[in-house]
Amino acid sequence: MKQAQVPAVLESVLHEIPGIQITPKEGSRVRVDVAPGALPAILELLKGQLGFMHLSAISCIDWPQTDEFELVYTVWSHEQKMTVSAHVTIPRDPGEYVSVYDIHTPAGFFERDIHEMFGVRFDGSPNLRKFILTSWNGPPPMLKSFDTLAYVEETFQWVDYRPEWLRDIEAKGGGIDSEGEGAPS
Amino acid sequence: MSDTTPVIPDQPEVCRTVDAEERGVWRRVMDRFADHCRARSLFVLHYCTGCGAIELPPTITSRFDMERVGVSPMVTPRQADILLITGYLSVKTLKRVILSYEQMQSPKYVLGFGSCTINGGMYWNSYATVKRLDQYIPADGFIAGCMPRPEAVQQVFLDLMKKIDAGQANAWQDYYLNYDRYLGNQMALFGEEWHTPVDVIAEAEHYGYVGDGTRGRFTEILDRHAAYALRDAPEDYPERGANERLLP
Ligand code: SF4
Repeated sequence: MKQAQVPAVLESVLHEIPGIQITPKEGSRVRVDVAPGALPAILELLKGQLGFMHLSAISCIDWPQTDEFELVYTVWSHEQKMTVSAHVTIPRDPGEYVSVYDIHTPAGFFERDIHEMFGVRFDGSPNLRKFILTSWNGPPPMLKSFDTLAYVEETFQWVDYRPEWLRDIEAKGGGIDSEGEGAPS
Repeated sequence: MSDTTPVIPDQPEVCRTVDAEERGVWRRVMDRFADHCRARSLFVLHYCTGCGAIELPPTITSRFDMERVGVSPMVTPRQADILLITGYLSVKTLKRVILSYEQMQSPKYVLGFGSCTINGGMYWNSYATVKRLDQYIPADGFIAGCMPRPEAVQQVFLDLMKKIDAGQANAWQDYYLNYDRYLGNQMALFGEEWHTPVDVIAEAEHYGYVGDGTRGRFTEILDRHAAYALRDAPEDYPERGANERLLP
């Protein structure tokens, strides 16, 4: 496969950023790896000079192996018809980063969501109160260290797999196929 | 015309006292008749929780046309007979489901649609969804499958109609008879501050379904909420603001 070229426009705008690594991906996607300190400047440059107006998403990945969070900022430019995903890694402890709300307003929602799901604090984010999990008091549930199954076992009860209603269904010729693939032995 | 003043008897014979047993029989006959009629005109609350909602338009509209057997959608819980839980219930959705369920007038029927309502389905290990619908509100039937086809939905409606007609679709009475247990399960999930605007115990008294399980240690907690509402809060009552967690 032919190695894709870094788009020249991107190269010309971003080459001055120290330590930046630009990797072209399939189609119109480009991955950019930067130091945490440089990310706001890059988003600013992309937005101001190349029309990357649209912040599609901010996502977070918990890496327990290296004790880091990886934050991915995905922006799209209608002018360049290009998607750039900017990756930064921050230490899991204390898990703090800066908000990019002043560059892209929708960041407020993504940051609030990531704060709720991973516990990352974004300095300067307008609102980090509870978002979706309004009645949740446990740890941020998307952390790999959160044992979902243990929580479920402790909080909920299971139904017995041979209940009365199943016998009714079996009497009519239906029921669980106990011979089939994945059947409980 | 007679000029004698009419004699009003002390015990008017037309108003003889009906003895309790006799009224009981009459009432049972009426109930059976009402059940028979009711089974032929059912309104399903148009409220959808999970993916399963997508199977309802074909079930209700011309392809399968549930209306030909007397089942049609209804927009408000107070006028609906059936609460169809169409799939997974997140903990937050369950609160709304309970609020809707309690607003429905008895007799009311709950049907769990899809594997998620039976045992969590494919969300069996999710922290955010409840696993068993029937722990929180009593259900009259379930449809297994992920997701069940309209034929299966039709089948459960027909089964429910048969049950109603036979006077056996009585899960709603269980909510009154064992309210304390249901409330306890709800509180285990939502916290002890959980309470709804509906006075379920008064309803249980109204319908005549107060049992041993109606009141208990969880309904006692409700009494404390009532006292709090009257500004007569016990010392150890949770801070104001604890309730903010209830509904956003
Ligand atoms: S049973 Fe399947 S289709 Fe239904 S809500 Fe659950 S996952 Fe969705």
